[in-house]
Amino acid sequence: MDIILGYFLYGMSLLTVGGIYALLALGLNVQWGFAGLFNAGIAGFAAIGAYTYAILTTAESKFHYGGLELPLLVGDVMAMVLAGFIAGVIGLICIRLRADYLAIATIGIAEIIKLVLKNESDITNGPRGINKIPRTWEHFSEERFYSSFPLNVINSSDSWQIFFESIARWWWQPFFAGTIILIVLLTYFLLEKLRTSPWGRMMTAIRENEMAAAAAGKDVTRRRIEAFILGALIMGLAGAFLGQHLRLIEPTQTFDPSKMTFLVWVMLIAGGSGNNKGAILGAFLIWFVWSSSELVTNGMIEILASIFDSVDISILKNRAGFIRMLFIGLLLQIILQRYPKGILPEKRPAVSGKI
Amino acid sequence: MIKKLIISVMILFGFSTVTIADVKIGNPMARTGPIPELVKPMSAAVDLAVEHVNDQGGLFSDGQKYIAVKVDSACDPVAAVDAVTKLVNVEVVTGIVGPVCSGATIAQAESVSIPAGVVTLSVSASSPAISEMESNTDLVFRTAASDAYQGIALAELAMSKGLKEIAVSYANDDYNAAIAGVFTKAFTSMGGKITGNEAHEPNKASYRSEVNTLGAGSNNLALFAYYGSSGITIMRNAMETGAFENFIGADGMLAQEVIDQLGAENLGNVTFTTSASDSSTDAFKSWKKHADAANVPASDPFVPNSYDAAFLMALAIEKAGSADRSKIAAALREVANGPGEKIYPGEWKKAKGIIASGGSIDYVGAAGPQDFDKNGDVAGLFSKNTVVDGKWKSVVIK
Repeated sequence: MDIILGYFLYGMSLLTVGGIYALLALGLNVQWGFAGLFNAGIAGFAAIGAYTYAILTTAESKFHYGGLELPLLVGDVMAMVLAGFIAGVIGLICIRLRADYLAIATIGIAEIIKLVLKNESDITNGPRGINKIPRTWEHFSEERFYSSFPLNVINSSDSWQIFFESIARWWWQPFFAGTIILIVLLTYFLLEKLRTSPWGRMMTAIRENEMAAAAAGKDVTRRRIEAFILGALIMGLAGAFLGQHLRLIEPTQTFDPSKMTFLVWVMLIAGGSGNNKGAILGAFLIWFVWSSSELVTNGMIEILASIFDSVDISILKNRAGFIRMLFIGLLLQIILQRYPKGILPEKRPAVSGKI
Repeated sequence: MIKKLIISVMILFGFSTVTIADVKIGNPMARTGPIPELVKPMSAAVDLAVEHVNDQGGLFSDGQKYIAVKVDSACDPVAAVDAVTKLVNVEVVTGIVGPVCSGATIAQAESVSIPAGVVTLSVSASSPAISEMESNTDLVFRTAASDAYQGIALAELAMSKGLKEIAVSYANDDYNAAIAGVFTKAFTSMGGKITGNEAHEPNKASYRSEVNTLGAGSNNLALFAYYGSSGITIMRNAMETGAFENFIGADGMLAQEVIDQLGAENLGNVTFTTSASDSSTDAFKSWKKHADAANVPASDPFVPNSYDAAFLMALAIEKAGSADRSKIAAALREVANGPGEKIYPGEWKKAKGIIASGGSIDYVGAAGPQDFDKNGDVAGLFSKNTVVDGKWKSVVIK
């Protein structure tokens, strides 16, 4: 029973992280898949979202600025707003750049964001990061939440305490994973609506031939800024959820562009850029394989050890992490060789079913 | 074909759960990421402790096998949370001996292990934030001293060397920034004067401008950096420009490469502290004997701490009498803090005998006495290291 519960909870965690990456990939899909904007600063927008959420919602701490203790929803919304706002400012300045130049500019911007977060240590606690970030659902079992609105209306804090001690410690996990999946689905439906709307077709036109679209009287720059902001909004929300999931964010490792930005790009390309389903599929697939491959490599080493009992497996165990990276790299090569346009290629033309 | 594939994958997944009668602990160390070379001997020390337990009778009266399940936390919160989720849920470990980096340790503890009620015993996470992490639980411990202690030790060292004014330069990463912060505070409260205090970004080609700015105020430099990414370059720039005469610093700078690159003759006025073990104690001698026999570098950073953590976890499980997660924290305090018969590294059989007969034990570890305070922290011992005959010579600060 314990084992089944264990696998269930691990599955919840896979869905949680997979969902967060799916949001990031959907955000990138708006920018790259719809509008052809090469954004290499995903980690930067996610970081803005995560830090905004963390600073607005955490309790007072001597390590960083805070103690605002705003409701979590306000944190989520502000994470989106701020990420979108910064994307807007950036968009006004550099959206006119052609693809590769925009890529360079966004790399630089992500790096600037990271360095600001790292050095404004009075606000962000610098490289040590912010911890004790409240997680949606789980936060209800913390005293400062069950003793305040809305829970204190329903019951007294003493009886809430007794209630939360009486239920299983993992009660919030399915709810948290479910919330994220729900948001992914909602984002997906909204983006699908957008893709098949006139706006979506216009974006395709701009992406494919900017000059023709401009000649047809479309405001290319404005549309591109819109797509850039929309993508960043989604990334900011994903960042807020990443902060909740990890409960600690710090600029160096969590928002390392070479890890996060690169990984999301891989997810989108493998899944199929331009296709919202593909973005979601790619995110879940890559994350599932990445996470579960550790169990597989460990199991393989055990099997090897039981076959050849003269082999010293401690060396292999220390190297398992690298073997795993090799496997993932190999798998990506196969996917990209087999499906050069992603597993679910873009369907065109992007016309609504209802005519 | 696909059916076969699915079946073999299921076997692989299921494999770890076959041996249900054994007691498993999780060992999420940063096997990939920025510091794999540092982690390798630490991981070997965990293996050595596991070997000692299993060779000398295993756990409980029926001699169950003690197994450390190794996963990769990569020094990265995302990877650590994922790795520990698997340990806690899929591998159903009794406790966790690991994460190496502070950020990864805090993230996995707050996100996974504390909500699940599993004890984390970190071997090298030194962030002061870990002391104050828990509110109503007692689940996070560590066998390495908080940076807070080393910063103070270094400030005392500076004072005893007669350095009244000092400039501080630190690499802007979680480890060095924190220790620099503690040092500045301690040094000022002891009556010293900080003439300049600046962060630098690692991996730059030259630090001349930083060195010049700081050098204007003082001849002494407190340097908190990793030797490879910025430390050696800063010292070279400082020597070229003659900006500083005396250097002090912490363990990130302690490597033979510093001497090889800068030359022993230039390092007369350099002292670095590091967390150390008092090699004159019986516990360390016992550890050294076992470590040498197993070819584990006994005095490398955090290697004795790793052994202590894995051994203490086994003692706690034995004391608790079952692999029940909820009993480990209390048992851990009992076996580590005493009072009771002193147990040294490698003495599993003796400890097991005493516990079986209802007695109490007090583990005295390779890295120090390993007595946990109310936050689950241990006090640390530190050594000062100077260059003698082209090598680092270490003297324990008493």
